[in-house]
Parts: sequence; C-alpha cells; structure tokens
Amino acid sequence: MAPKNRDDNFMDVDSDSDISLLGDIDHRGKGKAKGKATDKRKKEKGKAKAKEQAYTWEASYTRSWDTVQEDEAGSLQGAVEDLMARGRRRRLLAPAAAIRRTIIRHLVLLLDLSAAMMDRDMRPTRFDLMLQYAREFVVEWFDQNPLGQIGVVGMRAGIGERIGEMSGNPQDVLKCLSDRTRLEPTGEPSLQNAIEMARSSMSHLPTHSSREILIIFGSLTTCDPGNIHDTLDACVKNKIRISVVALAAEMKITRDLCDKTGGQFGVAMNEGHFKDILFELVPPPAQRAVARAGGPGTNPAADLMMMGFPTRLPDSSPPSLCACHSDMKSEGFLCPRCMAKVCDVPTDCDICGLMIVSSPHLARSYHHLFPVKPYEAVTELREGGSEPVAACHACARIFSTSASTAAASEGISPWGRYRCPDCRNDFCTECDVFVHDVIHCCPGCGK
Amino acid sequence: MEKASHLSVIVDLSPTQWHLSAQTSNQHPLSVETFLSQLLAFLNAHIASKHENSLVVFGALPGKSVMLYSPTELLSDDVPSLDANSYLPFKLVDSTVVQRIMNEFDAIGELKEEPPCALVGAVTKALCYINRITHPSSTTAGVAEDPSVIHDPRILILSVSPDLSSSYIPIMNAIFSAQKLKVTIDVCKVYGPDTVFLQQAAHLTNGSYIYLERRDALLQYLIMSFLSPTPIRKILAVPKQDKIDFRAACFCHKNIVDIGFVCSVCLSIFCQPLPVCSTCRTKFPINTLKRLNAARPTITPANSRIGLPLANLNNTASPRPTPTPPNGMSSLR
Repeated sequence: MAPKNRDDNFMDVDSDSDISLLGDIDHRGKGKAKGKATDKRKKEKGKAKAKEQAYTWEASYTRSWDTVQEDEAGSLQGAVEDLMARGRRRRLLAPAAAIRRTIIRHLVLLLDLSAAMMDRDMRPTRFDLMLQYAREFVVEWFDQNPLGQIGVVGMRAGIGERIGEMSGNPQDVLKCLSDRTRLEPTGEPSLQNAIEMARSSMSHLPTHSSREILIIFGSLTTCDPGNIHDTLDACVKNKIRISVVALAAEMKITRDLCDKTGGQFGVAMNEGHFKDILFELVPPPAQRAVARAGGPGTNPAADLMMMGFPTRLPDSSPPSLCACHSDMKSEGFLCPRCMAKVCDVPTDCDICGLMIVSSPHLARSYHHLFPVKPYEAVTELREGGSEPVAACHACARIFSTSASTAAASEGISPWGRYRCPDCRNDFCTECDVFVHDVIHCCPGCGK
Repeated sequence: MEKASHLSVIVDLSPTQWHLSAQTSNQHPLSVETFLSQLLAFLNAHIASKHENSLVVFGALPGKSVMLYSPTELLSDDVPSLDANSYLPFKLVDSTVVQRIMNEFDAIGELKEEPPCALVGAVTKALCYINRITHPSSTTAGVAEDPSVIHDPRILILSVSPDLSSSYIPIMNAIFSAQKLKVTIDVCKVYGPDTVFLQQAAHLTNGSYIYLERRDALLQYLIMSFLSPTPIRKILAVPKQDKIDFRAACFCHKNIVDIGFVCSVCLSIFCQPLPVCSTCRTKFPINTLKRLNAARPTITPANSRIGLPLANLNNTASPRPTPTPPNGMSSLR
C-alpha cells in the first residue's frame, strides 16, 4: 500500500507536472519501498491519462478516500448526503411495478465452519462476523417473511452438520445460532455434502413455496465425495434456488451454482458490503417464468392453501394446557378446526396440522405485491409558473430555497425535493427514504 | 427522572359523522364544539405535564389530511396577543387548532358526495414527523432541531368514522412501521361503530382502544387513559381491549372466515376453493381443489366432533361420511 506521509518532498498527485515527480526520486532515495511507491504513484497518474500501467488491477482500483470531500467549513455533510443519494439511485433500479413474488419461503442457511473462517481479514474474525450478521439476517428475514421457515446446516470437517431444524419460529433459529462454542470452525468445507443435506430436508415441501439455499462461504476449496455437478443438476430439477455470499474470492463452482439455479452471487469486499449483499436476500424473490409443461396457463407454483385464522384467548381466560409444550397457560390461540390451544402464531397446529396464521402476518407481505411508486427528483423549481410549496408534505420540514452546489447527478434533486408521480406533492429526502423503505404508503395518495 | 414524550393527535373531522353525532336522538349527543373544548383541555394538560413534552395535531378531512398544529412551524395567520390571564403556550395551541379547523371546514364547501376521510394519510404523516424528530440528521437550513431526545412517541387517534375496507393494506403497513419505530398507537372511538382495523392497530403496538359509552365525559376518558406516557403505563394501568378479532374477511363475500383458502401468489383469502383466483387470475391445480373440497369442514362445529378429526388427518380425496350433502363438490368445474 502506498504510504501517505505528507512531507514537502511528496508531490500531490493531482498536480500535472511530471518533472518534479521525477525529481522526488532523487530526493528521497531511501529504499526500494519508497521508490516503488513513487513509481506506483506515477503509474496511477499515468492511468488517469490512459498511459501504460504496470499492474492490471490498477485499472479498476478506486481510491475510496478521494470520494470523501470536505467542504469549506470542514464538515462531511456533503459526503453523507452523497452516500444517501447513491442509495436512492440503487433503489431506483429496483423494479417499481408489482411483480409476482413467492411469499411462502423455505430457506436453508449453509454456514461455512471450516478453518478458513478463522481468518482475521474481517474484524474480529470472519466466523464471528458471520454469526452476528446471520442472527441479524434471521431477525430481519422473519420480520419480512412471517410465513417462512429457516433451517441451518454447517459445513465442517468435510461433512454437513444439521445445526437447526427447519422452523418457523425465529427464537428457535436464533437459539441454535447463539452457542458459539458448538459451532467452532475446523477442517475443510464440503459443498456437496452440505447441499445434499439441505436438498433432502426440503424435498417434501409443496411446490408453491420457494425453496432456497443461502451459502455463506469463506474458503477457497471444497472437498466433495462425488461429482458436484450431479448435485447441481438435482437442485435444478427440484427447483431449489442457491445464492452464495463469498467472503474470500469468486470460485467458478459457486458462480455456476448461482447462475444455473437463478440465485444471486456476491463477494463481500468489506464488512459493510457483506451485510448489504446478505440483506439483499431478505425480500421475496421474483418468480421465474417457468416453462409450462402441463396444460396452458397452469402455473405450477401457484396453489391454494388452506389456512386457519385463530381466535385469541385473552389473559383473563381460565388456564389450560397448550398443545405444543404442555404448559399451563391462560393466553393462547385456538385452532379453528380442532379447537386445540397453541401458544404462538404463525404455526402448524400440532393436533390437526392446519396452518394457523393471523391476518397481520399475511398483511406483512402485501407491500411486496403493491409497492409505492418511486418519487421523481425535482430539478426545475418553478414548473408551469406555480409557486412551489415551502415545506415537505409529510413532515413539514422547510425546504432550502437555495440549490445545493453539489454535483447534481442523476436521481438527486439539487433542491432536496422529490415528487410523487400520482399526487404531485413534494417530499424531503428523509421522508422519501422512510416512505419507500419502511411505510410503503405515500402520505399524499393515502394508498 | 422522566423523559420527554411526544404526542401526535389525529382528529377525525368528517362533517357527516359529526353532524350525526350531534343529533339529539343519540343517547349522549356530542357536537364538534363541545368535543373541541374538551380536546383542547387535554392538549393543554399534555403540554403542562412536562416542559419538554411536544405535541403535534393532525386533522383528517374528507379527501385530505392537514397538519393543524406543530411547535416549529407557524401555521395560523394571526398570532394571539399576550394576555396577563392566559398562559401563552396554551393559548397558542388553542387558537392555532381552532383557527385551522374553522378554515378547513369553510374550505370544504358544498359537496354532493363526501369522499372518505383521509385517516390513513394523517397516520402516515404523523409517522413521517416522528421519524424526523427521532432521527435528527444533518439539517438543511432553517429548522431548529429539538434538543431533547424522544423516547416513547405516541399517536392518539380520535375516530368517528367507520372502517374503510380500501384502507386495510395502508393501515397494516402503518402498524408495522409503528412497530419498527416503537410508536404506541392509542385509539379513542368517540362515535360510530367499532373499527376492527384500529383495534388491531392499538393491540399490535401495545396501545389502548377505548370505545366511549358516555361521550359527554370525553375529557375524563382522555386524561385517564391517554395522558400517561409509556413508562408510566407499567404502573398506572390503562384499559385495553382484549377481545381482538384477528380473523380475516374473505375477498368474495366479505364474510368473516375461520378457515380460509389463500392464494399463494397474491395472498387473497377465499371462503371456498375456487378454480381461478379472482385477484391475480392464477389457475389452481385440479388435485388441490379436490383435496381441499374433501377436507373442508361443511358441517357446523356442534356436529363436527364425530367426523372431523379422522378425515382431516390424512387429507385424502376419499369422500367423508357427512350428515349434510357435500355441496362443495358441485362447485368444482
């Protein structure tokens, strides 16, 4: 890495003069390290002018510290706003129309518990960070997909270990991820064994639910007993979608696993990016257009499910035994078919097998089916001669009357205003982010 | 040491409903004027409880929602004069709220058909405002940020209108975002039938839902149930509604169903198996329809003890001996 000392002999790279740079080599002449650094700096300047480079990787090397610019007062506000705006642009790329998504999901989380996970390139170790993010992922996943189920499998010492059964209760899944000592990484990972174990645990599931495998892979090797491409073909046949988050580097087999099954592949560049690509898999996946083999118009993934809506027993009702734990409790839910008492919904009734959900659980997934239209950035303050409103329609924050001097890139409004295409009201940046990420309902349209 | 609390009040100002509420044919008529005088006393009580308490008032009118009072923006045109006998913050709130409500009522004018009240818009705006004050970011010019950190924001909805079925999804979305922001939603049903959506909102956010029996004693209900902030509610119990109906209504007949059939694509609920989903036009496989028709309970729960559990255990298509003719079979096309 190039050292960044700031003595006078060092020339600022932005300067255009070549002469003083060459002169610097004579001045310092300390050792190969410095000389190399200057060479590299010269070559990086050369990159800007599209001259020959010494290393190919320099072509795509971005110096992230350059993007953070302080303004005259020394504050980083502009840089922060720029980062927020980039997030907005990313969201604009997401489809705004309501696409068909599979709401009932079954996910098996495959964690790499091999010796490579004890590497310290992500703080404190890849393994600790993975556990922490996996717990947060599970919480967020059940929040967005209350009707889903998660199972956990570990890849350790050449075999696949079942860490957690497929369960719809987030507390159960978190419990099997909580004990760090039981999950101590050793040995080599085996992709095929783990994927086979995950596949067999999902084989009995109905077709209308989506079957997914999420692999967090930190090693660069895999030791398999057979041909992993056979496993891959079996997964494609069973319509299992495999997504991989790699912590080390891209391997062709992991890329193939994702491409052939229609999953997402990502390599984490740093801790923040790891979390981002992991959380990208929280929303339900879009349904793929499947070649219709049987009968025109029959979608094999669509099915009618029988679900029961329970009556809630308040705390004041007489205590009785629950069907799931045999605990003596007052509050609970009554299965509408067999009148058994269960503790928590959503669940499958232990007595009659009916899926019991309460209507808010179904309602939690409605926003995927009816998303809010993205707001347009206002670039022209006065359109059609009408006076612009002074305050945000949602939170009544006063808009600034002077345009921001930061470079107006695509998707960012220099006035800080964003307009809904339906109700034509202006909103501030914070409300824009809040409406699209949390509420999923435009205050102006009321829809 | 108590922390500052924030209260957002949403007042349902549907002229039709208020007119009906003021009719003397009701058991305890309540007109808008009486209601407002009691509400203003409650708002003053909230401000008086603690100096750092903040208050925002929204009004839900037919077709639109407006902000009636906010501590930072000056919404009314005439500033009240300083008077030795009145406390200025109270006077500011009272005059701003009343003035704005009068203006809005005048602006409604003559309408042939009153559009439904924009309660959802008001709730969303209240949540946006709470999001703004609980996450102060680097500010743009002009707005002074509240220095005290808000720990337990609350929303109080004073509702007089019945449920609007088209607002089910936005209200559920608002409830989930209130859960995320840790906002308590309280509901006071002043007039009108019981609203199931607001009952669920109060229950899911640990708030209280009160249906007024004595409307003329409104101020007593408000101060007893809705004045205390969330930490105090652990000690001073507020009345809650326990019998919440979480059952869903079917999309075809709007009946409340115990056991529904849900389309896996669009999550619409039906009371009986259909070959095609009416919302998303998805065709369902014939085998599923046969299986579900056989498994569907067609007899009342009183007779069900005999035949019900056996057949449903294996869910096969074998016909089940039932006392009533299986009329579900005829709907299978």
